[in-house]
Amino acid sequence: MIEKNVRCPKCHEIVSFSGEPGERITVTCPKCGAQGKVTFEKLTTDKDFAIEVSHLKKVYGNLIAVNDISFSIKKGDVFAFLGPNGAGKTTTVEMIESIRIPTAGMIKILSKDIRTNFDDVKNDIGVLPQEFHSFERLTVKETLVYFSNLYKKQANVDEIIEAMDLKGNQNQLYTNLSGGLKQRVGVAIALVNDPEIIFLDEPTTGLDPKARREVWNVIAGLKKKGKTIFLTTHYMEEAEYLADHIAIIHKGKIIAEGSLDELLNRYGKGKILYIKRLKTKNVKELLQQKGFEVTSEENGDIAVRITYKEHVIEVLSALRHDCIDYGSIDIKRSNLEEVFLHLTGSKLGEVAS
Amino acid sequence: MRLKVIASDFKVNIKAWSRSKGTLFWTLAFPVMLILIFGAIFSGVGEVEYELDVQDLDDSEMSHEFIKILEETGVIKVINVSVNEDIMSYIEENNIKRLLVIPEKYGEVIISSFGTNATVDLLFYFDQSEQSSNQVIRSVISNVIQSMNMELSHGRDIIKIEDIPTITEDFDFIDFFIPGMIGFTIMQTCIYGSIERNTKYRKYGILRKLLTTPITRAEWIFSKMLFMMFLSFLSSVIIILVGILVWGITITVDPLMITLMIITISATSFLFSGMGMLIGRFVKEEETADTAGGAISFPMMFLAGTFFPLDQMPEFLQEFARILPLYYVNEGLRNAMIYANQSEALLNSFIVIIFASIFFLAGVLLTKWNED
Ligand SMILES: Nc1ncnc2c1ncn2[C@@H]1O[C@H](COP(=O)(O)OP(=O)(O)OP(=O)(O)O)[C@@H](O)[C@H]1O
Ligand SMILES: [Mg+2]
Repeated sequence: MIEKNVRCPKCHEIVSFSGEPGERITVTCPKCGAQGKVTFEKLTTDKDFAIEVSHLKKVYGNLIAVNDISFSIKKGDVFAFLGPNGAGKTTTVEMIESIRIPTAGMIKILSKDIRTNFDDVKNDIGVLPQEFHSFERLTVKETLVYFSNLYKKQANVDEIIEAMDLKGNQNQLYTNLSGGLKQRVGVAIALVNDPEIIFLDEPTTGLDPKARREVWNVIAGLKKKGKTIFLTTHYMEEAEYLADHIAIIHKGKIIAEGSLDELLNRYGKGKILYIKRLKTKNVKELLQQKGFEVTSEENGDIAVRITYKEHVIEVLSALRHDCIDYGSIDIKRSNLEEVFLHLTGSKLGEVAS
Repeated sequence: MRLKVIASDFKVNIKAWSRSKGTLFWTLAFPVMLILIFGAIFSGVGEVEYELDVQDLDDSEMSHEFIKILEETGVIKVINVSVNEDIMSYIEENNIKRLLVIPEKYGEVIISSFGTNATVDLLFYFDQSEQSSNQVIRSVISNVIQSMNMELSHGRDIIKIEDIPTITEDFDFIDFFIPGMIGFTIMQTCIYGSIERNTKYRKYGILRKLLTTPITRAEWIFSKMLFMMFLSFLSSVIIILVGILVWGITITVDPLMITLMIITISATSFLFSGMGMLIGRFVKEEETADTAGGAISFPMMFLAGTFFPLDQMPEFLQEFARILPLYYVNEGLRNAMIYANQSEALLNSFIVIIFASIFFLAGVLLTKWNED
């Protein structure tokens, strides 16, 4: 039996239900009587985790760069490690990659303790280090062939070139590539051994928006193929766009963790439906009577909090029922920036500078 | 160690190297250019008629006849050396490149040669650093001797020639310069190559990336050393070829000496690769490390007798040179390549091996791929 807290879509009361893992049951809100469905997540076992980190710590002199963090990454997930400059992202990811030695803590990759099994693990992981820059005077294809020759298990280099959309550049020297292409080659290098887990340390930092999009598409493509991806970034849009699971790290500590929706619901203001240019007065009272939460009303524009997507339809049908006309609607949801602000009192971008 | 990995890494190194105009210039074109420039500055006018000092201890009709025949060849201009001169000091004082001594009993032996087994040895003293011209003269002398032997006895070697190598301090500059150029080029190639791998590759994340792949550090270092040796031998061969073709130097063709040369060149590659690793270990920024490499290698180049002999320098600098590894490289290569001085070549190559072991081991042990 596990327990789960959900917010009633109608009266916004937080209610607790219990059920079996994997079960989906119909429930009734004890306060307002609304009916809905609740799904209980399957329990995850060791075997479902690609990476397990517990009580990981790294100390540099007086600085605790990584301060006793624990988390697990499910197979097939894109895990985003979001945090400002100097938060401890690289230190953490490089400890998992066995590049740095932890001061304390335990790391398992595919259930294997990396302290004793890393040579084994090397074949299952592909790594793009932060600010990676490959051999300048090799072509894209030569670079990939070189790295793939280091492994016993090798993916087909031509297929990687195709998948990463590098065909047109395969005979160009690495040094002559644009920043975005270099990063795509970096990701491609991380794939030469057809790894299960891919580590990408800030793969889009310093790229223009178009190049960033291209890298995002590449990562989304890898996810589709079922790869587990450990992505570090200080761009919240990147985490929002790509991640199944997000951990926010700040000053060496994980300050929040969960899916995007979970984080937004827990720490953000939720989604807001803006209804603009209402032709009728007193709509606020009307909606409140029907149990909706109106967060603001100004010059005929009104803002209503939305917790589930059906909410939008409910609000709009309430308006139509009373023949209330309006100019336009817009839905804005809170974002990770807001979550970060809420948790740390500062903006992600500000901490960075 | 997996040979396949090493071979693939080696191949890639050569590819990347052959595409870099900068490295190609420093490893190949630059030494050749220096040899051409310095050689042109220092080389004298070539000899047309060769001078040969002759000390005629016999002073008989027969010996006069012999000298006359030598002069009639038109290649040799004979200079008479007084009978009272001590040959070795005469050679040293006058920087004599070659000298022939006709022994006292020369005439007598020839006259009595019919029906006896008597022979006479002419002594040919020659400076090893002057091999090309000395070879010409020696072959002229032996031709003369051969035809005289034919005439006197139908081929029995009555008159023979005994070679006595001498070493004067007055070598041709280019003979001195070529081995120094080899040592210098290997030093530069290996120090800078090693610095690049230990600073740039660290900054670029290549070393960290490699840590996450199955290549071992031993495989990596092994293939890099193969590559450095490849470059060292390539530069050496090119420098020697230019030396031979353009400046007519003669190098010793002797199995032991060639072996010592190969050993010294290999050990030098290890020596300076190790030194580069150490520089890259303590000076982490690539540009700063390059500067540090220059600050170490350029003074060493001048002080270790690369371009001019040590005895032209003040005493204390000469003492200082003897702690510089490049000095032993230069001396080792010179003694093996040019002077054919076995004991010196052995000693110096041994010292180079010791230096190489120390620097290379220290480099390998003190540098690492991972971060703290
Ligand atoms: N080798 C080291 N020695 C000393 N301090 C270090 C070392 N590496 C990292 N640090 C410190 O540890 C902290 C975390 O650094 P880390 O590189 O992990 O941050 P990050 O989240 O990856 O930042 P960025 O976004 O800039 O990459 C920083 O304060 C950094 O200065
Ligand atoms: Mg980082």
